[in-house]
Amino acid sequence: MGANASQLEKEIGSEQFPINEHYFGLVNFGNTCYCNSVLQALYFCRSFREKVLQYKQLQKNQKKETLLTCLADLFFSIATQKKKVGTIAPKKFITRLRKENEQFDNYMQQDAHEFLNYLLNTVADLLQAEKQGTKPKNSSGDSKAKPDPTWVHDIFQGTLTNETRCLNCETVSSKDEDFLDLSVDVEQNTSITHCLIGFSNTETLCAEHKYYCEVCCSKQEAQKRMRVKKLPQILALHLKRFKYMEQLSRYIKVSYRVVFPLELRLFNTSDDACNPERMYDLVAVVVHCGSGPNRGHYISIVKSHGFWLLFDDDIVDKIEASQIEEFYGIPSDMQKNSESGYILFYQSRE
Amino acid sequence: MAAPSEGGSKDELKTHFGTREGTYKLMPLSEYSKPSRVAYNGQTNTPVKVSFVKSNDGNGSATDRICFNVGRELYVYVYKGVKKAVDLTKPIDKRIYKGTLPTCHDFNQHYVTSDSVLLLVGFTAGQVQLIDPIKKEISKLYNEERMIDKTKVTCIKWIPQSPNQFLVSHASGQMYVYNEELPCGLAAPHYQPFKSGEGFSIYTCKTKSTRNPLYRWIVGQGAIHEFAFSPCSVYLAIVSQDGYLRVYNYNSMEVIGTMKSYFGGLLCVSWSPDGRFIVTGGEDDLVTVWSFHERRVVCRGQGHKSWVNVVSFDFYTSCVCDDMGCDFNGSEEDYHSSRHCHTKESVQKNGSDSNRNSLDGNGLNITSYRFGSIGQDTMLCLWDLTEDIIKQSAGRSRTSISTLSNSASCLPRCNSLPNSQKRNSIGNDVSAHAEGNSNANTHQIQNAVMNATNKFATLSVADRKESQEKKEHKRNFSLASRNTDKVNMLKSNHVKPVDDSIKLLGTLSCPRLDEVPILEPLVYKKIAQERLTSLVFREECLVTACQEGLVYTWARPGKGVSFWYT
Repeated sequence: MGANASQLEKEIGSEQFPINEHYFGLVNFGNTCYCNSVLQALYFCRSFREKVLQYKQLQKNQKKETLLTCLADLFFSIATQKKKVGTIAPKKFITRLRKENEQFDNYMQQDAHEFLNYLLNTVADLLQAEKQGTKPKNSSGDSKAKPDPTWVHDIFQGTLTNETRCLNCETVSSKDEDFLDLSVDVEQNTSITHCLIGFSNTETLCAEHKYYCEVCCSKQEAQKRMRVKKLPQILALHLKRFKYMEQLSRYIKVSYRVVFPLELRLFNTSDDACNPERMYDLVAVVVHCGSGPNRGHYISIVKSHGFWLLFDDDIVDKIEASQIEEFYGIPSDMQKNSESGYILFYQSRE
Repeated sequence: MAAPSEGGSKDELKTHFGTREGTYKLMPLSEYSKPSRVAYNGQTNTPVKVSFVKSNDGNGSATDRICFNVGRELYVYVYKGVKKAVDLTKPIDKRIYKGTLPTCHDFNQHYVTSDSVLLLVGFTAGQVQLIDPIKKEISKLYNEERMIDKTKVTCIKWIPQSPNQFLVSHASGQMYVYNEELPCGLAAPHYQPFKSGEGFSIYTCKTKSTRNPLYRWIVGQGAIHEFAFSPCSVYLAIVSQDGYLRVYNYNSMEVIGTMKSYFGGLLCVSWSPDGRFIVTGGEDDLVTVWSFHERRVVCRGQGHKSWVNVVSFDFYTSCVCDDMGCDFNGSEEDYHSSRHCHTKESVQKNGSDSNRNSLDGNGLNITSYRFGSIGQDTMLCLWDLTEDIIKQSAGRSRTSISTLSNSASCLPRCNSLPNSQKRNSIGNDVSAHAEGNSNANTHQIQNAVMNATNKFATLSVADRKESQEKKEHKRNFSLASRNTDKVNMLKSNHVKPVDDSIKLLGTLSCPRLDEVPILEPLVYKKIAQERLTSLVFREECLVTACQEGLVYTWARPGKGVSFWYT
């Protein structure tokens, strides 16, 4: 551990080492790599980290422990380390997580994407509850009023516009939906750009999926497509690599090779999108290693001050940008086992 | 010939595809690969590249040779084109490397005899090797101790004007000019600044005795992925991971123009046969056509489902004058080796056709450029760039604009053009010339296909123009010395903040999606199980290679027939 840490420091070089930056591995508490990998990715989403650290400053005297205070303590602890590199045990955070959600209260491998969702939603709920002056305890979604956006929403929330055209009366109805991340289907030997275009392809609703048209007052065949109307500050993209196989009655991993560029713009924006040409930079990737959702391992690669780091629980390595291609997936359909990008974090440039 | 039914299931590989000039067919017996045919496991990601050389063996016959790399191996074979491939167990040369893998290679097209060719090979660890695969006598190493550059060689090419010099680009974002005859020295080179400009700087070696490298170019940020010399050999186009296409006058080392991808790195680049256009492909899954003369993006092509690995203009199909067949339009290869293989085509045509052919040679009648692209999506795309597209985007005041998001864009292609309209474009092009728009056109093509029958016609047009402009022409022509171009250059320098590509959006270097036409491919076929890595257009065929190490030959319409009957 110590040897690895000092080696990383040496590799980066004392002059190149960014001021006020810390690269700390996270100890694994028994299959908690799903958690560690997401926490590292979020730590290197700059705006998210800044907001969490601000929260820590503002909430100094708060007694009540929540998942957010535990997260803030963890980030604060990393950010205020004397050493530049090393390891930290996110014990308090894991304990709190297991206490709060029984889904994570075991030693099984969990889905990193589900954890990301849970974490972002929980933090947003806590912040909203605090804003409304109510106790964060009963925040879990029983208030019907349209909640104020929090900084979690400011950072991650985008809007999809869901356009449905009734094939009988040709009426187009559109409905907006907010999202914190987009889950896209993957295809062999494609790019994330193509997967996003696929996400917004027109689908026809027919047979048992017919659409209830308000104009026709009956179920009708319809065409539907979802395009991005508001582009978020940080675009989190979840690649649906776990596919349920009915014959096997379990999930299998889809290791398809899906390339993701360091720079990204969206093609699947709606005509009324406010900033459709937003330029994104890849800042973090949560990588799933192994053959299935309940086995295997999660690691993350992040960009920090112009270079790339690989976080594998308590181990931190510097990698070259050219090594990222190792995490695209596998071009052969035969092999299920892979180290492949699972959640991509793109940060808007402006 | 009974045509087999075109692929049934979605994943089935295509063995032929149709274009307006006819059907291209995969020649199954013309396949080249490792002799063992054991599927290469593709664990390394070095792309399989293909290089060709033709040697004249005297009495009119010629031999083609092919080189390709697969993993750590490099093969050189006699290449039979659409005819049955040679015995794969008998390569001319086979090399297996340890510790470093071949990434790219290039034959010297100048020093070629029937028993000697010069082949440059670049490697993953940065070294460069010069070998004669036939004689096997010489084998020189450059950057052997990796003191010049430690990163992967991404592209290597002999410099067309200087048969002893070659240019090597690296993943470090640097390129080096070597002289084949000079040593690399025992110590790391000391450089001194020679020239610099926005986004690039050039150094020379600071030594008493000349040594390699002669020059070091630092271009943009991140890896240089590919570079290409213009057909006239004067200009150099470079594409980089930073998403920029940069075009230089190679001799004066001045920037002529730049273009930025919509997003992501640009991976490949190719010049049109007349030097009028450059096409790039990249990580935005797009092909982008840039006008050299106007310094602007002409159109983008959307069709690939993943990154575009190789783009290439088809020099043989880039001028289509009737619906029946393709006319020859001169090629770089011909230009350098002074061959006249188009005469073969002329023989097959009737008198009136060959008459028109001479017009084509003047570059006056180009109505359509053909280019191809291959990608990581295992797909081959063919595209037609027609005059109407070029004009449409030039106006910038179009009323109808096709957008990407509703991918229902349907732009007119040249095969839908009525014949009369095509004829008209002769006149249009002449007027374009009169405006001093493309001197390069005339000269380049003149050089490329100059022969006794059309020489005078060509000169009469070109000479008049020259006298109007009163400009010196050193080798072929020099666009950079023209006033208008200087203005353009200043402009483009002005609007080109290298590290802020966002500001470029909406400019001629990177128009918005709805500001230029979107092309759709005229052919879009899955032709391999693995990523495609190489695409070469030849006179009678096109050649593709994929990551698995399989090199396929696709006979052009009518060209595969002879094979079946012999």
